Amino acid sequence: MFYRESGDFKTSYVQDQQIFPILQDRVFVAVVIAFAFLVVPFLINDYWEKSVLLPVLIWSLAAIGLNILTGYCGQVSLGTGGFMAVGAYASYKFTTAFPELNLFIVVLLSGGVTAMVGILFGLPSLRIKGFYLAVATLASQFFLVWLFNKVPWFYNYSASGQINAPERLIAGITITGPNAPPWATYLFCLIFVVVLALIAKNLTRGRFGRSWMAIRDMDIAAEIIGVAPLKAKLSAFSISSFYIGIAGALFFLVYLGAVEPTEAFGIDKSFLVLFMIIIGGLGSILGSFIGAAFMFLMPVLIKNIMVNGLGWSPDIVAHLIFMIVGGLIMFFLIVEPHGLAQLWRIAKEKLRLWPFPH
Amino acid sequence: MQDTVREDDILLEVRNISLSFGGVTALENISFDIRRGEVRAIIGPNGAGKSSMLNVINGFYHPQEGEIWFDGKLRHHMKPHQVARLGIARTFQNIALFKGMSTLDNLMTGRLINMHANLFSQVAWIGPAQREEIEHRQKVEEIIDFLKIQSIRKTPVGKLPYGMQKRVELGRALAAESKLLLLDEPMAGMNLEEKEDMCRFVLDVNEQFGTTIALIEHDMGVVMDISNRVVVLDYGKKLADSSPDEVRNNPEVIDAYLGVSHD
Amino acid sequence: MTPDILNTIEVILNGLMTGVMYSLVALGFVLIFKASGIFNYAQGVMALFAALTLVGFQTGQIPFSHLINEIFGTHVHNWGPGLNSVLAILLTILVMILFAWLVEKLLLQYLVNQEPIILFMATIGLAFFMEGLGDLMWGADIKTLDVGIPSGGSFWWEDVTRTWVSEGYEYYGMYIDLLDVWAAGIAVLLVTILTLFSQYTKTGRALRAVADDHQAALTVGISLRSIWVIVWSIAGFVALVAGIMWGSKSGVQFSLSLIALKALPVLILGGFTSIPGAIIGGLIIGVGEKLFEFWIGPLVGGATENWFAYVLALFFLMFRPQGLFGERIIERV
Repeated sequence: MFYRESGDFKTSYVQDQQIFPILQDRVFVAVVIAFAFLVVPFLINDYWEKSVLLPVLIWSLAAIGLNILTGYCGQVSLGTGGFMAVGAYASYKFTTAFPELNLFIVVLLSGGVTAMVGILFGLPSLRIKGFYLAVATLASQFFLVWLFNKVPWFYNYSASGQINAPERLIAGITITGPNAPPWATYLFCLIFVVVLALIAKNLTRGRFGRSWMAIRDMDIAAEIIGVAPLKAKLSAFSISSFYIGIAGALFFLVYLGAVEPTEAFGIDKSFLVLFMIIIGGLGSILGSFIGAAFMFLMPVLIKNIMVNGLGWSPDIVAHLIFMIVGGLIMFFLIVEPHGLAQLWRIAKEKLRLWPFPH
Repeated sequence: MQDTVREDDILLEVRNISLSFGGVTALENISFDIRRGEVRAIIGPNGAGKSSMLNVINGFYHPQEGEIWFDGKLRHHMKPHQVARLGIARTFQNIALFKGMSTLDNLMTGRLINMHANLFSQVAWIGPAQREEIEHRQKVEEIIDFLKIQSIRKTPVGKLPYGMQKRVELGRALAAESKLLLLDEPMAGMNLEEKEDMCRFVLDVNEQFGTTIALIEHDMGVVMDISNRVVVLDYGKKLADSSPDEVRNNPEVIDAYLGVSHD
Repeated sequence: MTPDILNTIEVILNGLMTGVMYSLVALGFVLIFKASGIFNYAQGVMALFAALTLVGFQTGQIPFSHLINEIFGTHVHNWGPGLNSVLAILLTILVMILFAWLVEKLLLQYLVNQEPIILFMATIGLAFFMEGLGDLMWGADIKTLDVGIPSGGSFWWEDVTRTWVSEGYEYYGMYIDLLDVWAAGIAVLLVTILTLFSQYTKTGRALRAVADDHQAALTVGISLRSIWVIVWSIAGFVALVAGIMWGSKSGVQFSLSLIALKALPVLILGGFTSIPGAIIGGLIIGVGEKLFEFWIGPLVGGATENWFAYVLALFFLMFRPQGLFGERIIERV
């Protein structure tokens, strides 16, 4: 069967508005999701869980969050690390204060708290734009991390200043803590990621997405045709922070288990997520996944090859990775500002016409 | 002639508007009105304050003095997006489309002020959100048909040629279904054929939809052909306000355009 | 005067000195921003890179020696005892000019007419690249940098201030680092030279023309690309000066590029296009964060210097988005 849309006629606007208008795409995505839910849990082991699947899923979520703000609404933020910290600490406070609270609710509430904080730090965006705003978001990054370091209430007055994820169960299955089975943590994250990705897609193709993109593309014109900048920007900040907060909560609860804020949520994390969406594709949900996977796995792969394979010292490889990452960012911004997702789209365009390109 | 017009025939009236930036005066004591259903032209040499006038009507600039009456009510200090909700749409001198979005999305964005589905139905994309989306899509498709831009429905507007972008921008303003449409040089930079098309669209909008139109235009031929009344600005002051024919023969206007020295 | 007042004065003085350092980095940002509209995030890393290169020349390190040793299994480290400071500084300036040329050649010329925010992100990429490159070339260990600038406390100042205290109090005098005083002097000199350069030389006039209007500058025959190389070279020179100062003070290390992040709020206060703004913004932030830490810090657990500058900038932006010296922006459609 050829990959194309000819012959696949749309007879209603509903059909035309589908997320994946082409039949083969729909089938492909369905297969991937089914595989992720039904097959992977039986194959997963500790290594795949901790080194590949969990981090990629969680970073994807953070990348979707930042992409809503930066890719769709055009507001560059360097505060992602700080907002992830809010999610992590909120989940810690919720789950220790209310041990009986269902973990799903804990994570959602943490997202909610982060959304509020996001609105607070998004307020300056009403008056400032571009890199002025980027600098302003640095304030959230440094202030929030400092706050979680210095105010003992946030880490329940523990002597180490760290927070540790207590063991929590859902329906008798351990999800957090050192005894959680890999398949359970994986599925827990996967559910969040799939549902939230779908929601993000729905939001971005509807009224909210259009007002965000209008603000991004030409804010003055957007306001004059009736987009309220206050609502558009703050909704982007809050929804974006909601996603990032959930990513932070999952990062702490199921992935790291123990967190020290400067280490886990430093400014380098803010840059990491920004790079994910640049390389994956600004303004693309699919790109968020590709970018997260690429930015997380590429260094791991290089490290594996050079340190384990060639026996180079980890220091040197780390510096090389810095150079490669920086080089890639510049390369993508020059050659393809829409990132890997765009390359994928172009490939599909070509494929649609194949084998008769003329 | 002015006296025979009934109060409620007037859609928009500006009274004694003065606007300045720092020490520079952009508009000085300008008053005129726009009647329902007419095509009103605002003309004047470069720098006369025409675009500033539109910006004032839009709520983008706030004049230091003067009143704006819209639809029989005095308008208070308003932000541009609130003005849009009152029913004033506009196009721009330098195209201000959303370049990253398709034609369809640009037009749908133009309809945002008429959309109300809340966050939660948006999240699920079922029920009200989807119904609303389809309902507005139908309206937008009507405009697409009207402007004959079916073939570029899904093209990102950044890739369209200039004339087409102007047309899409008109479409975006139409999508709002406003009472008053402000067109800032809709035909600037177009060739003859494109201009004729655009004139046709403007007149059709005026006649078919009954939309009141205020436009800024430099091409005198166009202005004389399609407008009912003309207001002339020069150096931020009102020079004349009458029918196209009278304006054409007004010696002051001719001076202003030919650049007789002001002393 | 009571010791409390004297202590406060000491804090303010130290703040001013730190502020001078911030201003030095901010200066480089302003130069590039004015000439090319690029917000060069990599300015801080350029200072680090310049300082690393300088130390490398001074100690006679072979560039990339670690990498070479790793690949070929050799044990090369130094090619000689190293150069004297003046020669090393001159060579480093040459390296920074080469760097400016490469940046223009490989990066900027492809990004002309892109949106500012894209350019900004590209310079973040550049910063990462240079950070890796600097470490790979010269090694990541913390290095001491000494080009002969006097450092350490000034005994003279201690003696003078000791006499200021009122009767009946015990006071040991104020501490001020000679290095900081030198840094302030050099900063003043640098700003003077830059001002004279831009006012009275042909290149300087061209620079100002480009800063005013790219298109117009092009039409009168100014080559934008060579101007960019010149500006980035000057910014590289300013980075070197900043790198020498910071490096002499606290060693050449990675945190240098983080300190440079502080230049961003400085710019927001001072405005992106104003050289005096950069200086005054730097001083405000320097004094502000030291005083805040001195007064409020003990109450909230300290380390407020981490965020004070950014939060100050944020509040400032809410009320005056154009900065202290920027002109009010009139938007048009």
